Amino acid sequence: MDGLSLQIRESILKISHHSGHGHIPTCFSVVETLRAVYETMRHNPADPDWAERDLFVLSKGHAALGLYCTLAHFGYFPIQDVYAFGGFGSRFGCHADRFKIPGIELSTGSLGHGIGVATGMALGLKMSGSDRRVYVVVGDGEANEGTVWEALMVAAHRSLDNMTVVFDNNRSQARCLPVRDPERKFSAFGFDVTSVEGHDVSAIREALALKADRPRAVVANTVKGAGCRTLVNDVFAWHRRSPDAHELEILLGELHETAV
Amino acid sequence: MRQQFKKTVLQLAEEDDRLVLLFGDISVFLFNDFSQKYPERLLNIGICENTLISMAAGMSATGYRPVVHTITPFVTERSYEQVKLDLCYNRFGCTIVTVGGSFDYAWDGATHHCYTDLELMRMLPGMEVMQPGSKKEFDILFRACYKNGSPSYIRIAADGHGLDLPCEFGKGIIVQETKGAEVTVITSGPILGNVAEACSGLPVNILYFPTIKPLDVSLLRKFDDTDLIVVHDAFGLFEAITAAGGVKAAYHGLPDEFCCYYGALDDIRREIGLDPAGIRNAVLEYSGCSEAPARRAGPHKIVKVN
Repeated sequence: MDGLSLQIRESILKISHHSGHGHIPTCFSVVETLRAVYETMRHNPADPDWAERDLFVLSKGHAALGLYCTLAHFGYFPIQDVYAFGGFGSRFGCHADRFKIPGIELSTGSLGHGIGVATGMALGLKMSGSDRRVYVVVGDGEANEGTVWEALMVAAHRSLDNMTVVFDNNRSQARCLPVRDPERKFSAFGFDVTSVEGHDVSAIREALALKADRPRAVVANTVKGAGCRTLVNDVFAWHRRSPDAHELEILLGELHETAV
Repeated sequence: MRQQFKKTVLQLAEEDDRLVLLFGDISVFLFNDFSQKYPERLLNIGICENTLISMAAGMSATGYRPVVHTITPFVTERSYEQVKLDLCYNRFGCTIVTVGGSFDYAWDGATHHCYTDLELMRMLPGMEVMQPGSKKEFDILFRACYKNGSPSYIRIAADGHGLDLPCEFGKGIIVQETKGAEVTVITSGPILGNVAEACSGLPVNILYFPTIKPLDVSLLRKFDDTDLIVVHDAFGLFEAITAAGGVKAAYHGLPDEFCCYYGALDDIRREIGLDPAGIRNAVLEYSGCSEAPARRAGPHKIVKVN
Protein backbone atom coordinates (compact mmCIF):
# COMPACT_ATOMS: atom_id res chain seq x y z
CA MET A 1 0.00 0.00 0.00
CA ASP A 2 1.45 3.34 -1.02
CA GLY A 3 1.06 6.64 0.78
CA LEU A 4 -2.04 7.73 -1.09
CA SER A 5 -3.96 4.50 -0.50
CA LEU A 6 -2.96 4.75 3.15
CA GLN A 7 -4.22 8.32 3.30
CA ILE A 8 -7.58 7.44 1.73
CA ARG A 9 -8.03 4.51 4.13
CA GLU A 10 -7.13 6.73 7.07
CA SER A 11 -9.79 9.20 6.00
CA ILE A 12 -12.37 6.41 5.71
CA LEU A 13 -11.59 5.19 9.22
CA LYS A 14 -11.57 8.64 10.79
CA ILE A 15 -14.79 9.75 9.09
CA SER A 16 -16.53 6.52 10.02
CA HIS A 17 -15.41 6.97 13.63
CA HIS A 18 -16.48 10.61 13.62
CA SER A 19 -19.88 10.02 12.01
CA GLY A 20 -20.80 6.56 13.27
CA HIS A 21 -21.57 5.51 9.70
CA GLY A 22 -19.96 3.67 6.81
CA HIS A 23 -19.22 0.25 5.39
CA ILE A 24 -15.48 0.21 6.02
CA PRO A 25 -14.45 -3.24 4.72
CA THR A 26 -16.20 -2.82 1.37
CA CYS A 27 -14.72 0.67 1.02
CA PHE A 28 -11.25 -0.71 1.71
CA SER A 29 -11.58 -3.33 -1.00
CA VAL A 30 -12.14 -0.72 -3.72
CA VAL A 31 -9.64 1.99 -2.73
CA GLU A 32 -7.10 0.98 -5.38
CA THR A 33 -9.86 0.38 -7.96
CA LEU A 34 -11.31 3.85 -7.46
CA ARG A 35 -7.87 5.45 -7.65
CA ALA A 36 -7.06 3.56 -10.85
CA VAL A 37 -10.37 4.47 -12.47
CA TYR A 38 -10.04 8.17 -11.67
CA GLU A 39 -6.40 8.14 -12.83
CA THR A 40 -7.54 6.59 -16.12
CA MET A 41 -10.82 8.21 -17.06
CA ARG A 42 -11.30 11.64 -18.57
CA HIS A 43 -12.68 13.95 -15.94
CA ASN A 44 -12.21 17.46 -14.65
CA PRO A 45 -12.79 18.17 -10.95
CA ALA A 46 -12.94 21.89 -11.73
CA ASP A 47 -15.76 21.21 -14.20
CA PRO A 48 -17.57 18.06 -13.06
CA ASP A 49 -20.17 18.45 -15.82
CA TRP A 50 -17.56 18.75 -18.56
CA ALA A 51 -19.29 17.55 -21.72
CA GLU A 52 -16.39 15.34 -22.80
CA ARG A 53 -15.96 13.53 -19.50
CA ASP A 54 -16.12 9.77 -19.15
CA LEU A 55 -18.83 8.46 -16.86
CA PHE A 56 -18.29 6.51 -13.65
CA VAL A 57 -20.98 4.58 -11.80
CA LEU A 58 -20.48 3.01 -8.39
CA SER A 59 -23.02 0.23 -8.73
CA LYS A 60 -22.07 -1.19 -5.32
CA GLY A 61 -23.28 2.04 -3.79
CA HIS A 62 -22.52 1.24 -0.17
CA ALA A 63 -18.84 2.00 -0.83
CA ALA A 64 -19.87 5.66 -1.07
CA LEU A 65 -17.54 6.76 1.72
CA GLY A 66 -14.60 5.30 -0.19
CA LEU A 67 -15.73 7.16 -3.29
CA TYR A 68 -16.11 10.46 -1.39
CA CYS A 69 -12.59 10.14 0.01
CA THR A 70 -11.25 9.38 -3.46
CA LEU A 71 -13.11 12.30 -5.04
CA ALA A 72 -11.81 14.57 -2.30
CA HIS A 73 -8.27 13.46 -3.10
CA PHE A 74 -8.83 14.30 -6.77
CA GLY A 75 -10.02 17.77 -5.80
CA TYR A 76 -13.79 17.61 -6.13
CA PHE A 77 -14.27 18.99 -2.60
CA PRO A 78 -12.24 19.29 0.62
CA ILE A 79 -11.96 16.11 2.66
CA GLN A 80 -13.08 18.10 5.72
CA ASP A 81 -16.54 18.40 4.14
CA VAL A 82 -16.94 14.63 4.19
CA TYR A 83 -16.84 14.56 7.98
CA ALA A 84 -20.54 15.49 7.85
CA PHE A 85 -21.06 12.00 6.40
CA GLY A 86 -24.51 10.59 7.13
CA GLY A 87 -25.58 13.51 9.31
CA PHE A 88 -28.94 15.23 9.04
CA GLY A 89 -28.80 17.83 6.29
CA SER A 90 -25.39 16.66 5.09
CA ARG A 91 -24.88 16.35 1.36
CA PHE A 92 -22.72 13.28 1.98
CA GLY A 93 -25.21 10.48 2.51
CA CYS A 94 -24.26 6.90 3.21
CA HIS A 95 -25.23 6.35 -0.40
CA ALA A 96 -24.33 9.08 -2.86
CA ASP A 97 -26.87 11.51 -4.29
CA ARG A 98 -25.99 12.78 -7.74
CA PHE A 99 -27.76 16.06 -7.14
CA LYS A 100 -25.67 16.84 -4.05
CA ILE A 101 -22.15 15.68 -4.85
CA PRO A 102 -20.08 16.89 -7.80
CA GLY A 103 -18.66 13.98 -9.76
CA ILE A 104 -21.49 11.57 -8.98
CA GLU A 105 -23.26 10.49 -12.16
CA LEU A 106 -25.87 8.20 -10.59
CA SER A 107 -27.46 7.95 -7.17
CA THR A 108 -27.02 4.32 -6.19
CA GLY A 109 -27.56 2.18 -3.12
CA SER A 110 -29.95 -0.59 -3.95
CA LEU A 111 -27.80 -3.26 -5.54
CA GLY A 112 -28.02 -4.31 -9.16
CA HIS A 113 -29.15 -0.95 -10.57
CA GLY A 114 -25.97 0.86 -11.56
CA ILE A 115 -24.82 -1.75 -14.03
CA GLY A 116 -28.07 -1.49 -16.02
CA VAL A 117 -27.96 2.30 -16.06
CA ALA A 118 -24.28 2.19 -17.07
CA THR A 119 -25.25 -0.11 -19.94
CA GLY A 120 -27.79 2.46 -21.10
CA MET A 121 -25.18 5.22 -20.78
CA ALA A 122 -22.71 3.24 -22.88
CA LEU A 123 -25.35 2.52 -25.51
CA GLY A 124 -26.37 6.18 -25.63
CA LEU A 125 -22.79 7.37 -26.01
CA LYS A 126 -22.05 4.79 -28.65
CA MET A 127 -25.19 5.62 -30.64
CA SER A 128 -24.29 9.29 -30.64
CA GLY A 129 -20.80 8.53 -31.98
CA SER A 130 -19.05 9.83 -28.86
CA ASP A 131 -15.68 8.42 -27.77
CA ARG A 132 -16.55 8.90 -24.10
CA ARG A 133 -16.36 5.74 -21.99
CA VAL A 134 -18.36 4.32 -19.11
CA TYR A 135 -16.73 2.71 -16.08
CA VAL A 136 -18.82 0.84 -13.54
CA VAL A 137 -17.81 -0.92 -10.33
CA VAL A 138 -19.89 -3.97 -9.46
CA GLY A 139 -19.42 -6.03 -6.32
CA ASP A 140 -19.41 -9.80 -6.20
CA GLY A 141 -22.12 -9.68 -3.56
CA GLU A 142 -24.12 -7.42 -5.82
CA ALA A 143 -23.75 -10.03 -8.54
CA ASN A 144 -26.23 -12.18 -6.61
CA GLU A 145 -28.77 -9.87 -8.23
CA GLY A 146 -30.14 -11.16 -11.52
CA THR A 147 -30.20 -7.66 -13.00
CA VAL A 148 -26.40 -7.69 -13.12
CA TRP A 149 -26.46 -10.61 -15.52
CA GLU A 150 -29.33 -9.17 -17.56
CA ALA A 151 -27.29 -6.03 -18.12
CA LEU A 152 -24.13 -7.95 -18.98
CA MET A 153 -26.03 -9.94 -21.60
CA VAL A 154 -27.36 -6.77 -23.19
CA ALA A 155 -23.98 -5.00 -23.07
CA ALA A 156 -22.27 -7.91 -24.80
CA HIS A 157 -25.06 -8.34 -27.33
CA ARG A 158 -24.86 -4.65 -28.20
CA SER A 159 -21.03 -4.85 -28.43
CA LEU A 160 -20.60 -1.95 -26.04
CA ASP A 161 -16.86 -1.62 -26.44
CA ASN A 162 -16.97 1.72 -24.62
CA MET A 163 -17.92 0.11 -21.33
CA THR A 164 -15.65 -1.35 -18.65
CA VAL A 165 -16.95 -3.24 -15.66
CA VAL A 166 -14.61 -3.50 -12.69
CA PHE A 167 -15.73 -6.49 -10.69
CA ASP A 168 -14.74 -6.10 -7.05
CA ASN A 169 -14.15 -9.74 -6.26
CA ASN A 170 -13.79 -9.43 -2.50
CA ARG A 171 -15.66 -12.69 -1.78
CA SER A 172 -18.22 -10.85 0.29
CA GLN A 173 -20.81 -13.53 -0.34
CA ALA A 174 -18.72 -16.41 0.98
CA ARG A 175 -21.32 -17.15 3.63
CA CYS A 176 -24.33 -17.49 1.32
CA LEU A 177 -24.09 -17.29 -2.46
CA PRO A 178 -20.50 -16.92 -3.67
CA VAL A 179 -19.96 -15.93 -7.30
CA ARG A 180 -17.35 -18.50 -8.23
CA ASP A 181 -14.93 -18.08 -11.09
CA PRO A 182 -16.14 -14.65 -12.25
CA GLU A 183 -13.58 -14.54 -15.07
CA ARG A 184 -15.24 -17.51 -16.76
CA LYS A 185 -18.69 -16.10 -16.15
CA PHE A 186 -17.83 -12.73 -17.72
CA SER A 187 -16.14 -14.49 -20.59
CA ALA A 188 -19.15 -16.75 -21.15
CA PHE A 189 -21.35 -13.65 -21.21
CA GLY A 190 -19.25 -12.22 -24.04
CA PHE A 191 -16.89 -9.87 -22.23
CA ASP A 192 -13.20 -9.37 -22.79
CA VAL A 193 -11.77 -10.24 -19.37
CA THR A 194 -8.63 -9.35 -17.48
CA SER A 195 -7.99 -10.60 -13.98
CA VAL A 196 -5.79 -8.47 -11.73
CA GLU A 197 -4.51 -8.19 -8.18
CA GLY A 198 -7.09 -5.73 -6.95
CA HIS A 199 -4.82 -3.80 -4.59
CA ASP A 200 -2.21 -3.06 -7.23
CA VAL A 201 -3.10 0.34 -8.68
CA SER A 202 -0.71 -0.01 -11.62
CA ALA A 203 -2.05 -3.43 -12.55
CA ILE A 204 -5.65 -2.17 -12.49
CA ARG A 205 -4.68 0.90 -14.49
CA GLU A 206 -2.98 -1.24 -17.12
CA ALA A 207 -6.04 -3.47 -17.34
CA LEU A 208 -8.31 -0.44 -17.69
CA ALA A 209 -6.20 0.84 -20.58
CA LEU A 210 -6.70 -2.31 -22.65
CA LYS A 211 -9.04 -2.03 -25.61
CA ALA A 212 -11.36 -4.61 -27.13
CA ASP A 213 -14.12 -4.85 -29.71
CA ARG A 214 -16.60 -5.72 -26.97
CA PRO A 215 -17.27 -4.68 -23.38
CA ARG A 216 -14.44 -5.23 -20.96
CA ALA A 217 -14.42 -6.72 -17.49
CA VAL A 218 -11.56 -6.22 -15.06
CA VAL A 219 -11.88 -8.73 -12.27
CA ALA A 220 -10.16 -7.08 -9.33
CA ASN A 221 -9.31 -9.78 -6.84
CA THR A 222 -9.51 -7.93 -3.58
CA VAL A 223 -9.69 -8.49 0.14
CA LYS A 224 -12.56 -7.05 2.09
CA GLY A 225 -11.05 -4.77 4.71
CA ALA A 226 -7.61 -4.87 3.04
CA GLY A 227 -5.08 -2.96 5.10
CA CYS A 228 -6.34 -3.81 8.58
CA ARG A 229 -6.07 -7.39 9.81
CA THR A 230 -8.81 -6.82 12.38
CA LEU A 231 -11.25 -6.06 9.57
CA VAL A 232 -10.03 -8.85 7.32
CA ASN A 233 -10.29 -11.40 10.11
CA ASP A 234 -13.84 -10.45 11.03
CA VAL A 235 -15.46 -8.91 7.96
CA PHE A 236 -19.01 -9.77 8.86
CA ALA A 237 -18.80 -8.12 12.29
CA TRP A 238 -17.34 -5.02 10.67
CA HIS A 239 -19.69 -4.95 7.68
CA ARG A 240 -21.39 -1.81 8.89
CA ARG A 241 -19.69 -0.84 12.07
CA SER A 242 -17.76 2.24 13.04
CA PRO A 243 -14.73 2.09 15.32
CA ASP A 244 -14.75 3.74 18.74
CA ALA A 245 -11.71 5.79 19.76
CA HIS A 246 -9.75 2.78 21.00
CA GLU A 247 -10.59 0.68 17.94
CA LEU A 248 -9.69 3.57 15.67
CA GLU A 249 -6.26 3.72 17.24
CA ILE A 250 -5.77 0.00 16.69
CA LEU A 251 -7.00 0.11 13.09
CA LEU A 252 -4.82 3.11 12.24
CA GLY A 253 -1.87 1.29 13.73
CA GLU A 254 -2.57 -1.78 11.62
CA LEU A 255 -2.87 0.38 8.53
CA HIS A 256 0.55 1.90 9.09
CA GLU A 257 2.08 -1.53 9.73
CA THR A 258 0.66 -2.71 6.40
CA ALA A 259 1.90 0.39 4.62
CA VAL A 260 5.42 -0.23 5.83
CA MET B 1 -54.70 2.82 -29.60
CA ARG B 2 -51.46 0.95 -30.22
CA GLN B 3 -51.60 2.06 -33.86
CA GLN B 4 -51.97 5.61 -32.62
CA PHE B 5 -48.90 5.11 -30.43
CA LYS B 6 -46.89 4.23 -33.51
CA LYS B 7 -48.34 7.10 -35.51
CA THR B 8 -47.61 9.65 -32.79
CA VAL B 9 -44.12 8.35 -32.18
CA LEU B 10 -43.30 8.36 -35.89
CA GLN B 11 -44.24 12.00 -36.08
CA LEU B 12 -42.31 12.92 -32.97
CA ALA B 13 -39.23 10.98 -34.11
CA GLU B 14 -39.13 13.11 -37.21
CA GLU B 15 -39.13 16.27 -35.13
CA ASP B 16 -36.81 15.10 -32.37
CA ASP B 17 -33.59 13.12 -32.94
CA ARG B 18 -33.40 12.36 -29.25
CA LEU B 19 -36.42 10.06 -29.33
CA VAL B 20 -35.50 6.37 -29.02
CA LEU B 21 -37.80 3.40 -28.47
CA LEU B 22 -36.78 0.69 -26.02
CA PHE B 23 -39.03 -2.33 -26.39
CA GLY B 24 -39.36 -5.39 -24.21
CA ASP B 25 -39.88 -7.66 -27.21
CA ILE B 26 -43.45 -6.63 -28.00
CA SER B 27 -45.01 -4.58 -30.81
CA VAL B 28 -41.87 -5.06 -32.91
CA PHE B 29 -43.78 -6.24 -35.97
CA LEU B 30 -46.28 -3.42 -35.61
CA PHE B 31 -43.42 -0.92 -35.62
CA ASN B 32 -41.77 -2.34 -38.75
CA ASP B 33 -42.17 0.90 -40.62
CA PHE B 34 -40.61 2.82 -37.73
CA SER B 35 -37.60 0.53 -37.63
CA GLN B 36 -37.24 0.73 -41.41
CA LYS B 37 -37.20 4.48 -41.25
CA TYR B 38 -35.09 4.72 -38.08
CA PRO B 39 -33.24 1.40 -37.80
CA GLU B 40 -31.03 2.56 -34.93
CA ARG B 41 -33.79 4.14 -32.91
CA LEU B 42 -35.94 1.12 -32.17
CA LEU B 43 -34.03 -0.99 -29.68
CA ASN B 44 -35.66 -4.29 -28.89
CA ILE B 45 -33.69 -4.80 -25.70
CA GLY B 46 -35.05 -8.19 -24.67
CA ILE B 47 -37.29 -9.82 -22.10
CA CYS B 48 -35.52 -8.10 -19.23
CA GLU B 49 -37.79 -5.35 -18.01
CA ASN B 50 -35.62 -4.28 -15.09
CA THR B 51 -32.71 -3.66 -17.39
CA LEU B 52 -35.04 -2.04 -19.89
CA ILE B 53 -35.88 0.66 -17.35
CA SER B 54 -32.32 1.02 -16.06
CA MET B 55 -31.04 1.41 -19.60
CA ALA B 56 -33.67 4.02 -20.33
CA ALA B 57 -32.30 6.00 -17.38
CA GLY B 58 -28.78 5.62 -18.74
CA MET B 59 -29.79 6.73 -22.20
CA SER B 60 -31.59 9.70 -20.72
CA ALA B 61 -28.35 10.57 -18.89
CA THR B 62 -26.60 10.79 -22.25
CA GLY B 63 -29.16 13.10 -23.82
CA TYR B 64 -31.76 10.79 -25.32
CA ARG B 65 -35.52 10.84 -24.75
CA PRO B 66 -36.33 7.15 -24.23
CA VAL B 67 -39.80 5.71 -24.70
CA VAL B 68 -40.11 2.31 -23.03
CA HIS B 69 -42.81 -0.05 -24.18
CA THR B 70 -43.88 -3.45 -22.95
CA ILE B 71 -46.65 -5.31 -21.12
CA THR B 72 -48.12 -3.59 -18.08
CA PRO B 73 -47.35 -5.87 -15.11
CA PHE B 74 -43.83 -6.68 -16.16
CA VAL B 75 -42.59 -3.13 -16.33
CA THR B 76 -44.56 -1.72 -13.40
CA GLU B 77 -44.89 -4.45 -10.80
CA ARG B 78 -41.71 -6.35 -11.65
CA SER B 79 -39.58 -3.29 -12.37
CA TYR B 80 -41.00 -1.01 -9.72
CA GLU B 81 -37.71 -0.34 -7.98
CA GLN B 82 -36.01 0.50 -11.27
CA VAL B 83 -38.77 2.98 -12.06
CA LYS B 84 -38.63 4.39 -8.54
CA LEU B 85 -34.86 4.77 -8.29
CA ASP B 86 -33.33 4.87 -11.76
CA LEU B 87 -36.00 7.13 -13.26
CA CYS B 88 -37.77 9.02 -10.49
CA TYR B 89 -35.13 9.37 -7.77
CA ASN B 90 -32.43 10.11 -10.32
CA ARG B 91 -34.84 12.32 -12.28
CA PHE B 92 -34.08 10.82 -15.66
CA GLY B 93 -36.88 11.48 -18.13
CA CYS B 94 -38.60 8.54 -19.78
CA THR B 95 -42.06 7.85 -21.11
CA ILE B 96 -43.32 4.39 -20.24
CA VAL B 97 -46.08 3.11 -22.50
CA THR B 98 -47.73 -0.18 -21.62
CA VAL B 99 -50.35 -2.49 -23.02
CA GLY B 100 -52.44 -5.08 -21.23
CA GLY B 101 -53.56 -3.03 -18.23
CA SER B 102 -56.35 -4.27 -15.99
CA PHE B 103 -58.02 -7.15 -17.84
CA ASP B 104 -57.10 -6.45 -21.45
CA TYR B 105 -55.47 -9.88 -21.46
CA ALA B 106 -58.45 -11.45 -19.69
CA TRP B 107 -57.89 -14.83 -21.29
CA ASP B 108 -54.32 -15.09 -19.99
CA GLY B 109 -55.30 -15.17 -16.35
CA ALA B 110 -53.88 -13.39 -13.33
CA THR B 111 -50.24 -13.48 -14.46
CA HIS B 112 -51.14 -11.02 -17.20
CA HIS B 113 -53.70 -8.92 -15.37
CA CYS B 114 -52.48 -5.66 -13.87
CA TYR B 115 -54.64 -3.19 -11.99
CA THR B 116 -51.99 -1.81 -9.64
CA ASP B 117 -49.91 0.01 -12.26
CA LEU B 118 -51.63 3.37 -12.11
CA GLU B 119 -51.48 3.54 -8.32
CA LEU B 120 -47.91 2.23 -8.13
CA MET B 121 -46.77 4.87 -10.58
CA ARG B 122 -48.88 7.57 -8.91
CA MET B 123 -47.11 7.00 -5.60
CA LEU B 124 -43.70 7.82 -7.07
CA PRO B 125 -42.48 11.40 -6.65
CA GLY B 126 -42.12 13.15 -9.98
CA MET B 127 -44.07 10.59 -12.00
CA GLU B 128 -46.95 11.60 -14.25
CA VAL B 129 -49.74 9.08 -14.79
CA MET B 130 -52.22 8.92 -17.64
CA GLN B 131 -54.94 6.55 -18.74
CA PRO B 132 -56.29 7.76 -22.08
CA GLY B 133 -59.60 6.36 -23.26
CA SER B 134 -59.29 7.07 -26.97
CA LYS B 135 -56.70 7.44 -29.72
CA LYS B 136 -57.14 11.18 -29.65
CA GLU B 137 -56.50 11.33 -25.92
CA PHE B 138 -53.44 9.13 -26.28
CA ASP B 139 -51.99 11.40 -28.94
CA ILE B 140 -52.54 14.56 -26.90
CA LEU B 141 -51.37 13.15 -23.59
CA PHE B 142 -48.34 11.35 -25.00
CA ARG B 143 -47.14 14.47 -26.78
CA ALA B 144 -47.58 16.54 -23.63
CA CYS B 145 -45.67 14.23 -21.33
CA TYR B 146 -42.97 13.49 -23.88
CA LYS B 147 -42.45 17.19 -24.39
CA ASN B 148 -42.03 18.06 -20.73
CA GLY B 149 -39.28 15.47 -20.27
CA SER B 150 -40.41 14.13 -16.88
CA PRO B 151 -40.76 10.46 -16.01
CA SER B 152 -44.24 9.57 -17.13
CA TYR B 153 -46.50 6.57 -17.40
CA ILE B 154 -49.23 6.09 -19.96
CA ARG B 155 -51.37 3.03 -20.41
CA ILE B 156 -52.64 1.94 -23.84
CA ALA B 157 -55.98 0.15 -23.79
CA ALA B 158 -57.38 -2.52 -26.05
CA ASP B 159 -60.67 -0.68 -26.31
CA GLY B 160 -61.85 2.91 -26.19
CA HIS B 161 -64.78 4.68 -24.59
CA GLY B 162 -66.17 5.66 -27.99
CA LEU B 163 -66.72 9.31 -27.10
CA ASP B 164 -65.15 12.36 -28.68
CA LEU B 165 -64.10 14.52 -25.77
CA PRO B 166 -61.80 17.51 -25.40
CA CYS B 167 -58.50 16.58 -23.83
CA GLU B 168 -55.67 18.44 -22.19
CA PHE B 169 -52.80 17.13 -20.06
CA GLY B 170 -53.56 17.55 -16.37
CA LYS B 171 -57.21 18.40 -16.94
CA GLY B 172 -60.36 16.49 -16.15
CA ILE B 173 -63.61 17.11 -17.95
CA ILE B 174 -67.30 17.14 -17.18
CA VAL B 175 -68.97 14.47 -19.28
CA GLN B 176 -72.40 14.90 -17.76
CA GLU B 177 -73.66 17.59 -15.42
CA THR B 178 -77.12 17.41 -13.88
CA LYS B 179 -78.52 20.42 -12.09
CA GLY B 180 -79.01 19.64 -8.41
CA ALA B 181 -77.33 16.26 -8.65
CA GLU B 182 -76.24 14.86 -5.30
CA VAL B 183 -73.99 12.18 -6.77
CA THR B 184 -70.96 12.53 -9.02
CA VAL B 185 -69.55 9.48 -10.78
CA ILE B 186 -65.83 9.67 -11.50
CA THR B 187 -63.79 7.51 -13.85
CA SER B 188 -60.78 7.32 -16.14
CA GLY B 189 -59.85 5.48 -19.32
CA PRO B 190 -61.97 3.37 -21.64
CA ILE B 191 -64.41 2.24 -18.97
CA LEU B 192 -65.96 5.68 -19.28
CA GLY B 193 -68.00 4.10 -22.12
CA ASN B 194 -69.67 1.73 -19.67
CA VAL B 195 -70.05 4.47 -17.07
CA ALA B 196 -71.76 6.82 -19.52
CA GLU B 197 -74.11 4.09 -20.66
CA ALA B 198 -74.82 3.05 -17.07
CA CYS B 199 -75.64 6.57 -15.97
CA SER B 200 -77.81 7.41 -18.94
CA GLY B 201 -80.95 9.08 -17.63
CA LEU B 202 -79.75 9.10 -14.03
CA PRO B 203 -79.62 12.46 -12.21
CA VAL B 204 -75.86 12.33 -11.61
CA ASN B 205 -72.75 14.14 -12.77
CA ILE B 206 -69.94 12.31 -14.55
CA LEU B 207 -66.34 13.49 -14.31
CA TYR B 208 -63.55 12.02 -16.39
CA PHE B 209 -59.84 12.21 -15.54
CA PRO B 210 -57.56 10.77 -18.24
CA THR B 211 -54.67 12.36 -16.35
CA ILE B 212 -54.52 10.79 -12.90
CA LYS B 213 -51.35 12.59 -11.84
CA PRO B 214 -51.27 15.53 -11.70
CA LEU B 215 -54.95 15.36 -10.83
CA ASP B 216 -57.20 18.24 -11.83
CA VAL B 217 -58.11 19.07 -8.25
CA SER B 218 -59.79 22.34 -9.18
CA LEU B 219 -62.37 20.46 -11.22
CA LEU B 220 -62.91 18.05 -8.35
CA ARG B 221 -63.46 20.96 -5.97
CA LYS B 222 -66.42 22.13 -8.01
CA PHE B 223 -68.21 18.90 -7.13
CA ASP B 224 -67.03 18.30 -3.59
CA ASP B 225 -70.44 19.19 -2.22
CA THR B 226 -71.79 16.05 -3.89
CA ASP B 227 -71.21 12.44 -2.95
CA LEU B 228 -68.52 10.98 -5.15
CA ILE B 229 -68.38 7.44 -6.45
CA VAL B 230 -65.27 6.35 -8.30
CA VAL B 231 -65.97 3.63 -10.84
CA HIS B 232 -62.73 2.18 -12.15
CA ASP B 233 -61.09 -1.11 -13.06
CA ALA B 234 -57.75 -0.31 -11.47
CA PHE B 235 -56.26 1.15 -8.33
CA GLY B 236 -55.04 4.69 -8.63
CA LEU B 237 -57.91 6.98 -9.44
CA PHE B 238 -59.82 6.42 -6.21
CA GLU B 239 -56.65 6.94 -4.21
CA ALA B 240 -55.86 10.12 -6.14
CA ILE B 241 -59.36 11.46 -5.49
CA THR B 242 -59.28 10.73 -1.78
CA ALA B 243 -55.71 12.02 -1.47
CA ALA B 244 -57.00 15.37 -2.72
CA GLY B 245 -58.90 15.58 0.58
CA GLY B 246 -62.16 17.16 1.53
CA VAL B 247 -64.32 14.72 -0.36
CA LYS B 248 -66.68 11.94 0.52
CA ALA B 249 -65.89 9.20 -1.96
CA ALA B 250 -66.88 5.59 -2.49
CA TYR B 251 -65.37 3.07 -4.84
CA HIS B 252 -66.92 0.56 -7.17
CA GLY B 253 -64.64 -1.74 -9.07
CA LEU B 254 -61.99 -4.28 -8.22
CA PRO B 255 -62.58 -7.15 -5.87
CA ASP B 256 -59.90 -8.25 -3.40
CA GLU B 257 -59.19 -11.43 -5.28
CA PHE B 258 -57.65 -12.63 -8.54
CA CYS B 259 -60.09 -12.58 -11.44
CA CYS B 260 -59.18 -15.82 -13.15
CA TYR B 261 -62.29 -16.24 -15.26
CA TYR B 262 -60.51 -16.05 -18.64
CA GLY B 263 -62.76 -15.11 -21.56
CA ALA B 264 -62.68 -11.54 -22.82
CA LEU B 265 -62.40 -8.13 -21.17
CA ASP B 266 -66.15 -7.65 -21.14
CA ASP B 267 -66.66 -11.04 -19.50
CA ILE B 268 -64.53 -10.04 -16.54
CA ARG B 269 -66.11 -6.60 -16.35
CA ARG B 270 -69.52 -8.25 -16.26
CA GLU B 271 -68.41 -10.73 -13.61
CA ILE B 272 -67.14 -8.04 -11.26
CA GLY B 273 -69.95 -5.60 -11.87
CA LEU B 274 -68.17 -3.21 -14.21
CA ASP B 275 -70.47 -3.75 -17.16
CA PRO B 276 -73.10 -1.01 -17.70
CA ALA B 277 -75.73 -2.92 -15.69
CA GLY B 278 -73.38 -3.54 -12.79
CA ILE B 279 -72.22 0.05 -12.72
CA ARG B 280 -75.80 1.33 -12.90
CA ASN B 281 -76.76 -0.84 -9.94
CA ALA B 282 -73.80 0.40 -7.94
CA VAL B 283 -74.61 4.04 -8.68
CA LEU B 284 -78.27 3.49 -7.82
CA GLU B 285 -77.37 1.75 -4.61
CA TYR B 286 -74.94 4.48 -3.64
CA SER B 287 -77.35 7.27 -4.41
CA GLY B 288 -80.20 5.56 -2.56
CA CYS B 289 -82.33 5.61 -5.66
CA SER B 290 -85.47 3.52 -5.62
CA GLU B 291 -85.08 2.11 -9.12
CA ALA B 292 -85.09 -1.68 -8.87
CA PRO B 293 -81.75 -3.21 -9.89
CA ALA B 294 -81.90 -4.98 -13.25
CA ARG B 295 -79.52 -7.56 -11.85
CA ARG B 296 -77.10 -7.93 -9.05
CA ALA B 297 -73.91 -6.09 -9.66
CA GLY B 298 -71.81 -9.21 -9.54
CA PRO B 299 -70.62 -11.45 -6.75
CA HIS B 300 -67.37 -9.59 -6.09
CA LYS B 301 -68.53 -6.04 -6.14
CA ILE B 302 -67.14 -3.96 -3.32
CA VAL B 303 -67.93 -0.46 -2.29
CA LYS B 304 -65.56 1.26 0.08
CA VAL B 305 -66.83 4.39 1.75
CA ASN B 306 -64.57 6.91 3.44
